[in-house]
Amino acid sequence: MEKTITVTVNGTAYTRTVPLRLLLVDFIRDDCGLTGTHIGCTYEGRCGACTVQIGGRAHKSCMKLAVQADGKEVTTIEGLGSRDNLNRLQQAFSRYHALQCGFCTSGILMNAAEFLKENINPSEAEVRRALVGNLCRCTGYSHIVEAILAASAVRHGVKPVPPPAGTEPDR
Amino acid sequence: MTAIGETGWIGRSLERREDARLLTGRGEYLADVRVPDCLHLCFVRSDHAHAKIGEIRLAAALEMPGVVGAITGAELSTEMQGQKIPVLIPAFAANYRQYWPLAVDEVYWHGEPLAAIVADDKYAAEDAAAAAEVDYEPLPVVTDPEAALRDGAPRVYDDWDNNEIFATSYTGGFDPDQIAKNDAEVEALFAKADVVLKQRFHTQRCGVCPIETRGALAIWSEADGLTVHLTTQRPHIERLALADLLELSTAEVRVIAPRDQGGGFGVKAPFYREHVVVCHLARKLGRPVRWVETREEHLMTVSQERDQIHDLEIAANKEGRILALRNRGIGDVGDGRQGVYWGFVMPSLGSVMLPNAYDIGHADIKLRCAVTNKTCLSPSRSFGALPTRFALERGLDMLARRLGMETAALKRKNLVTEFPFTSVTGVHHDSGDYVRAWDALLERFDFAGFRAWQNEARTSGRYIGIGFACGAEFSGIPSDVLVPLENQPGYGVVTMRIDPRGKVAIFEGDAPQGQSHETTMAQVAADAFGIHPDDVSVRHGDTGTTPLSSGTIGARGASYTVAAIAEAASALKAKMARYMIHDHGLEGASADDFSFRDGAIIYEKDDNVRRDFAALADRIVMGSINVPPGEDPGLEHTAYFEAPKPMICFTAQAAKVEVDIETGQFTILDYATCEDVGTVINPIVVEGQVQGGVVQGMSNAMFEEFLYDEYGQQLTADFENYRLASAADVPTVTVGHSPTPCPDHPMGVRAVGEGRPGPVPGALANAICDALAPFGVEITTLPLKPEMILALIEAGRAGNGG
Ligand code: FES
Ligand code: FES
Repeated sequence: MEKTITVTVNGTAYTRTVPLRLLLVDFIRDDCGLTGTHIGCTYEGRCGACTVQIGGRAHKSCMKLAVQADGKEVTTIEGLGSRDNLNRLQQAFSRYHALQCGFCTSGILMNAAEFLKENINPSEAEVRRALVGNLCRCTGYSHIVEAILAASAVRHGVKPVPPPAGTEPDR
Repeated sequence: MTAIGETGWIGRSLERREDARLLTGRGEYLADVRVPDCLHLCFVRSDHAHAKIGEIRLAAALEMPGVVGAITGAELSTEMQGQKIPVLIPAFAANYRQYWPLAVDEVYWHGEPLAAIVADDKYAAEDAAAAAEVDYEPLPVVTDPEAALRDGAPRVYDDWDNNEIFATSYTGGFDPDQIAKNDAEVEALFAKADVVLKQRFHTQRCGVCPIETRGALAIWSEADGLTVHLTTQRPHIERLALADLLELSTAEVRVIAPRDQGGGFGVKAPFYREHVVVCHLARKLGRPVRWVETREEHLMTVSQERDQIHDLEIAANKEGRILALRNRGIGDVGDGRQGVYWGFVMPSLGSVMLPNAYDIGHADIKLRCAVTNKTCLSPSRSFGALPTRFALERGLDMLARRLGMETAALKRKNLVTEFPFTSVTGVHHDSGDYVRAWDALLERFDFAGFRAWQNEARTSGRYIGIGFACGAEFSGIPSDVLVPLENQPGYGVVTMRIDPRGKVAIFEGDAPQGQSHETTMAQVAADAFGIHPDDVSVRHGDTGTTPLSSGTIGARGASYTVAAIAEAASALKAKMARYMIHDHGLEGASADDFSFRDGAIIYEKDDNVRRDFAALADRIVMGSINVPPGEDPGLEHTAYFEAPKPMICFTAQAAKVEVDIETGQFTILDYATCEDVGTVINPIVVEGQVQGGVVQGMSNAMFEEFLYDEYGQQLTADFENYRLASAADVPTVTVGHSPTPCPDHPMGVRAVGEGRPGPVPGALANAICDALAPFGVEITTLPLKPEMILALIEAGRAGNGG
């Protein structure tokens, strides 16, 4: 059973004929060749490494079929910022060393980017709650939480991304 | 010559070189490597924990669309060597059992692979694997390690006399008479001790599963042989093993650990059977073959460690000085068939590490390891030592309570103070000031005022406690330890090359999985040469281009590899200085008369004599005339670093928790560490390593547990049932420092990658018991489940008369 679908990913329309059972995450990785979206728990919806935005909302792309995204606008990590022009959240992640292996990072950024849109001035507890769907095994979360809080501070005109307390940022 | 550190790239929290690609979805992980015409492999795994394999029917699977081929264990065993090969076996006696990567005749654990199917895409391969039919004849299942070691117990391996894979004494030497003499001396100390604590401790089966699972992509070419991309921490060892197993020349095998790996923590260090099947089929079929492990496979087969029982006895005097230890450990190693570690090396090192950090003069420490019908233990950060750390740190708290002493004071009194110190099991502690670090931690927790505050809180029905623990962890492992332990060299090695534009390239044979080598190692080289870190590149993980080394294991990066970088830089700087002396006619000058800073090499006695770093590199590499007598052209050097004895990194940790006595739930109010990491290369990277390690320890202590039922069925093969800590479950971990430079490292660095989870369960459990002291609660098992804690509270209430 196949269907021809058109999914707009990061502004580019991809028209493909796909099996009905093809997962969106596999469509993004294999059909669109966008490998920044990761698979960490093999489709149980628990790790969050596969998080993308569909119509601006964060979704776990392993929990959706590609055909469900037909006609929709999908944003993946590749669409969030560019190498030369990181958005404030990406900058904060680098500043605060909020990633080690980076495998969870795409999903966390896609989730946090949506979270910060809705939450103007989140508390630490709110940020931690917002992250329950994203597992990270490397960082222990402290730096991730700090980076998200710092990125939200940037929105409030505290510019640029403030340095981590007790460290000497550089470059 | 310039000292390391002169140009000031050391000790700075530079943003990482890795980040730009990882933050924009351009990482290069195993599953991102694409090659045309690639087949996908899916394993057929055993439904039973112990059974004779009957017929394996693959005909229906082979007829499914897209399916290209299949292989069973019986076929594979005629096409390749068994996995018991010298390069994968430690250099000491144990029952190493021969095995093949796919089960032949019999399966020994739920999830053991017994056939493999390859198809054009992964959906087709999975469908076909599901269509495979296997007949089993179930056999008795062994799941309890203690029962397994009793005489007459049912056996995992029919042809063994019993289920013991390994047993040894870690004290008293190797001679049985000497061991008996030592045991008697220890017994005498117990007999006259003022107080003896005797307690059994159990740590559950759990581990440090990385978010990226395992995988392999093998490409065969008639011209070049085998090229295989692998999730691995030790590509060079994989290469040797693959060549031996597939009976290829090593010239025909190239292993590439991907530039980016999604975490490892020890899990990617063993030699796994799946890899060799992927490689074998790529060669046999003449097409690339790829396997990416599912999370379910991962949780059924790897990331399982910690599973140990310890009967610990501590003898002490009234003042709280430890006189002697006695410990009888039992390790449940699962099937015990896995290259490099064979399941028992972890519990074995755990027993070696048991007395670490404390000045304990006498001990009798023995371990027995049992095979069971479970998957083999695979290493997890704090390699084997989390269980023994939990036992000792809990045991000392129980001892302190029995003596009516403050546990923080008792532990402080027993810390090692004179260095170098060799523990009773032979672990060399190089140097440090453990007491200073301990005191800094107490101060951080404002411990002086805590008891009054705690009592007041109790009167208002709040149960708050503080718990302490510490660890003295390996900062890299020298050949002295690694050769006997794993039959592999411990040295650190890099090849360093400077090109005519003054750019420095470092080639490292290890394979990091998130440890920031590209950044921190560039800082070290930039600092040495007085150039910018952007002018240094670090390449790792490809056996085709890097020198042989044992892998990214045991916190070797900042210790051994960084030391090798420092030594390679020194050698190349000396050579550049000699060219300066020659070119400028500086008779009588020596290499020490030059400094490297601001992108230049400068003659200290006359700073008009200077050359641009890149210009001098160009002169040496490209301008190979008028070469100084006895010099080679070119700027390339391979340096080996070896520390004569282990280097050690001390950590002291404390937790403050609040327990709800109605539910047994607890909240971590505060968690802090005080580290002695010596010279810090990049502070924020160190902080991240510690925080990550501590939260792994919390997650292990609080939630994680692999469960097997009485039939050996694994019940926890997904993240719903095998629960990892989320951001909402843990607090911010504060990292403090009390550094002393490591004397055996050229820059004084101590590496932190390995041991941070180890002390965490002890600190947490001690804090809970401290909070619940009015109920006399003493925790002896993990995980710290609310129902367990509640039961202990209730037992305490009943014991107190309600
Ligand atoms: S891969 Fe989608 S949540 Fe884990
Ligand atoms: S950075 Fe490795 S899993 Fe989060």
